[in-house]
Amino acid sequence: MLYMVNKAPLSSDALRTCLAVAAPGEPVLLYEDGVYAAAAGAATAPWVQQALAERPIYALRADLEARGIVRRLDGIQVIDYNGFVSLVEAHNVVPWL
Amino acid sequence: MKKVLLLMRRAPYGTVYTAEGLRSVMGLGVFEMDVALVCVGDGVYALLAGQDPAALDMKPLGASFAGLGEFGVQRFYVHAPSLAERGLAADDLVVPAAAVDDAGLQRLLAEQDAVLPF
Repeated sequence: MLYMVNKAPLSSDALRTCLAVAAPGEPVLLYEDGVYAAAAGAATAPWVQQALAERPIYALRADLEARGIVRRLDGIQVIDYNGFVSLVEAHNVVPWL
Repeated sequence: MKKVLLLMRRAPYGTVYTAEGLRSVMGLGVFEMDVALVCVGDGVYALLAGQDPAALDMKPLGASFAGLGEFGVQRFYVHAPSLAERGLAADDLVVPAAAVDDAGLQRLLAEQDAVLPF
């Protein structure tokens, strides 16, 4: 399954609960305000980093650039809209709104 | 002169709140009021420098805050614990903002005639 998260990690429990449910190896896609979880230095960074050891985490480039998130956690895979489409084609999707 | 504070608690772009807050504060400029703005929680992201929403076909919101002086916004405040929790510093912001802690925010809210939430 591909889990999709669009809420910021400090004001929503979406990413935390998603990561608790998703099996190791299942990819997570951060988009819209979800991309704030890709930021380095935030209080959420340690547990996002830990999650990266167990699964790929993708972040949509357009949403990162819009929000000015330039310092990103190592291991976050930045994708464009074509990459987004490829991921959705390759997996069944769980929108974790 | 009435004191009005915009209380911004949302991240930009993901919802319409930040853009609507900006629109409202520009409208307030025509009235003779003492207008200030404080960013708390994800609201601090609204002031983050380097926003480029061209690919989303949206207007950059961060840059708009820098021009609010023309609309009568006298002071910017930022909740320091919110900034620190997000790994950000004053240097990362588009405007100089006075840092307030919880007690400072409480005082700021208490001295207003009206608080407008966005």
